[in-house]
Formats: sequence, C-alpha cells, structure tokens
Amino acid sequence: MRHLEQELTALRQDVIDMWRLVISQVGKSGEAILSFDKDLAMQVSMREKKVDAYELKIDNFCENIIALHQPVAIDLRFVLAVLKINANLERIGDFANSIARLLITHPSISLDADLITQANLREMVEEVKKMLVHGLEAFENEKTSIAASIFSEDSVVDELNDRAAHVFAKYIEANPDRAYECLHLISVFRKLERLGDHCSNIAEEIFFYLDAKILKHSPKI
Amino acid sequence: MLTVEAKNVDFYYSDFHALKNISLEVEKNKVVAFIGPSGCGKSTFLRILNRMNDLIDGTRMTGSVLIEGEDIYAPNVRVDELRKKVGMVFQKPNPFPKTIFENIAYGLRVNGIKDNSFIEQRVEESLKSAALWDEVKDKLKKSAFALSGGQQQRLCIARALAISPKVVLMDEPASALDPISTAKIEELIYELKKDYTIIIVTHNMQQASRVSDKTAYFYLGELIEYDDTTKIFTNPQKESTQNYITGRFG
Repeated sequence: MRHLEQELTALRQDVIDMWRLVISQVGKSGEAILSFDKDLAMQVSMREKKVDAYELKIDNFCENIIALHQPVAIDLRFVLAVLKINANLERIGDFANSIARLLITHPSISLDADLITQANLREMVEEVKKMLVHGLEAFENEKTSIAASIFSEDSVVDELNDRAAHVFAKYIEANPDRAYECLHLISVFRKLERLGDHCSNIAEEIFFYLDAKILKHSPKI
Repeated sequence: MLTVEAKNVDFYYSDFHALKNISLEVEKNKVVAFIGPSGCGKSTFLRILNRMNDLIDGTRMTGSVLIEGEDIYAPNVRVDELRKKVGMVFQKPNPFPKTIFENIAYGLRVNGIKDNSFIEQRVEESLKSAALWDEVKDKLKKSAFALSGGQQQRLCIARALAISPKVVLMDEPASALDPISTAKIEELIYELKKDYTIIIVTHNMQQASRVSDKTAYFYLGELIEYDDTTKIFTNPQKESTQNYITGRFG
C-alpha cells in the first residue's frame, strides 16, 4: 500500500473509533436520563475528554495529510469530509455530555417518569442513536444509500420533538409547580433534536465524499 | 475564441499507433496542461501542434489541426511561418552559444528584421515578459551559459516570445529546475496567459493543477478526459483519471 493510502486508512480508522465512542456516549447519556443513573452519567462525563482528544488528533491528522501529500479528487474529498464529520461528532459528544451532566449538576432533581414516557424520550434517544449508527455504516461501507436514510430519520426526530413540546406544554399547565423539572427535560429534547441535525450534516458530508454531491441548503434526496 | 482545434487526430510511428482519434479545443489566453504516464502520447500530441514530428522518419498523421482557424497541415503551409505563430520551450534549457542579447535577437534576425532599435526594443520587452530583465539588463553582452539553469529556461521562454507567437508550447519546462526556479516559471506562465495561449506537458500533477485552466489526461494514446482543472482535480468523471491523479495508477 502506498504511503498516502496508509495515512488515509489510519485516518479512517480513527474516525470510526471516535464514531463508536460517540455512539456509546449518546446511548449511555440517554440511558442515564431514562433511568436516573448518576454513575452512568458520571461515566459519560469522564469520557468526554476522550472525544475531545480524538477531535484534536483527527484535525491534526487531516492538516498533515493535506500539507504533506496534497490529496486530490476522492482523497481530497475524503479528508475535507472527515474534517467536517469530526467537528460534528465532537458537537454530538458535547450534547451527550451536557445531557448526562443534568444528573450531575442537579443531583436532587426528580424527573417525572410518566412524563418521560408520554414525551417518548426513549424513542427519541433510539432514533438519534439509529441515525448515528447509520452514519457510521454509510461511512465504513461507502454507501450513500445508507446515508440517505438519515435524512428521513431526522424528520422523525423533528416530529417526536414537536409532539413532545405539546406534551410538555400541557404538563406545565396542569403542574405549574413542576415547571422547573419540565424545562430541564425540554432542554434534553432540544439537545437530541440538534444532535439529529448534526447527524444530517454528517450524511451530507458522506454524499460529498463519495459522490461529490453538495446537498447543503437544498432539498434532500 | 478558439486558438487550437484538433479534430480526429491519429498519429503513427511506423506501425505503432501513438495517438488515437484525438479531438481537443483550446481557447485563447488559456493555459492547458497535458498529463498522463510516460508513453501516453502527450508530448507527441504537443509536437503535432507545431509540426515537430515532421522531422521523424516513418511517422504518419491523419485528422486536422487548426491554429487560429488555419489548417497547419495544409499543403501550402510553410513550417517556418507556422513556428512564428507557435513557439516552443523544451525540458532542458537550450540557449544558443551566444550572448544573452543575441539569443533573443536571433529569431528576429532570421525572420529578416534588420532594424536595430526595433530589435533592442523587442529584446527588452521579451526579457521583461519572461521576468528576466531585471536580472540580466546589465549583462546582455555576456554569454547565455553564464546564467543559472532557471535563468536559462526563462531566457528560452523570452526567445520564444520575441517573435510574438500566438501559442507557446512547453514540454516539461520546469522538470530540470530547482523549486525556486520552478516557482518563477509557474508564476511566469500565469502572467503570460494574458497575452498568449499556453499548452504545457508536465509530469508534475501539482504543477498542472497550479498553472492550468484546463487539463487533458492522456492514456495509451487516447484522450481520456479533458475538462476544467478544478473539475479534474476534485471530481474527475473517469475512473482512469482518478486512479492516475490520486497515484493509484498501475
């Protein structure tokens, strides 16, 4: 294998490793909230530094490849896409951490389990995790057909978020004394919704890398 | 406006079919780079554009090449007249064993120009165009061989420009030069396209991407892909082009 290919293969592996870590972070932070598990939340928080370290390593790797190898065509698109996927994964890691930190910074908060069920938090977490997993599958197997499914999954996440907003509004009306806890849950949903947007951004980058198509700011296929 | 129009060009070295049905157009004041592995036909095609291959025994060409609308292979075309229109710069600097001044003046003199003040003016203009004037203006009477390799190559470019060609062909013009001289030649190509149409053969793909507006990729005597340089180096349409420019070739 020639030198550049070795570098690109190593870069790809770092991205895959970071991706798997981020999927695990999102899954654990969701599970922590769903089961009020502070230990699990602490674990997510501790591993956030690892996500950040991957981000710096991958950025540096891309910079070196561009400076030393001057990649072109699909190799260049791969490195450019990785730079952006890296930034999106790091933001997703941040959201996972900030969801988990709710349990750490507010240890006495009591979230209404019925409200969590009614708002479909578990479905929301699962849907976002599915988007992340599909992104990784599309990247690893170089398949835009898998990346395309992420756009429709993002619509499902948006829909779940909208429906949850109505549930929360009704809940606050009926239980004004619990508005504070409810606001925290709303922020969890908002973070998960943003996380879905980052997964969509990643899917766009996979299309750019594999098909040289620019899907940003345009209707998705 | 088209400066070069090649239509269905086939070329043979005896039985060897070196170029296969090449059609390619070059617009005025553009830089076009020919790339491809050794033996792909890019230099052969470059030499077709000023009939350099006519000198090689056993060669045969079919198809047509128009320079500014004129068929350069028409029977009435004089090759010396053609070469006033189409200048050439080679891989290795090849100045004449004469002074710097006479290297530039030579082409004008053999074309019958005797007016010394005009010749002096053209020498200065050509050396300025080749970004060499400031370095040699005080030593015009010195031998061209006293110049560095990079300066000699710019002298050869100045010599090609002196007779005011329309097209300048460059066959690996910087491959024998150090990085600083190479950068100067590349800057020069960028400057010269204001006044000339330039076609460059290069093995250095970064050079092709830096200097050219369009790139033609040749392989086994065929023109595989010809498109804007930005397109060729970001999203080539043919797998063969991609394999070559990314180094996966072969």
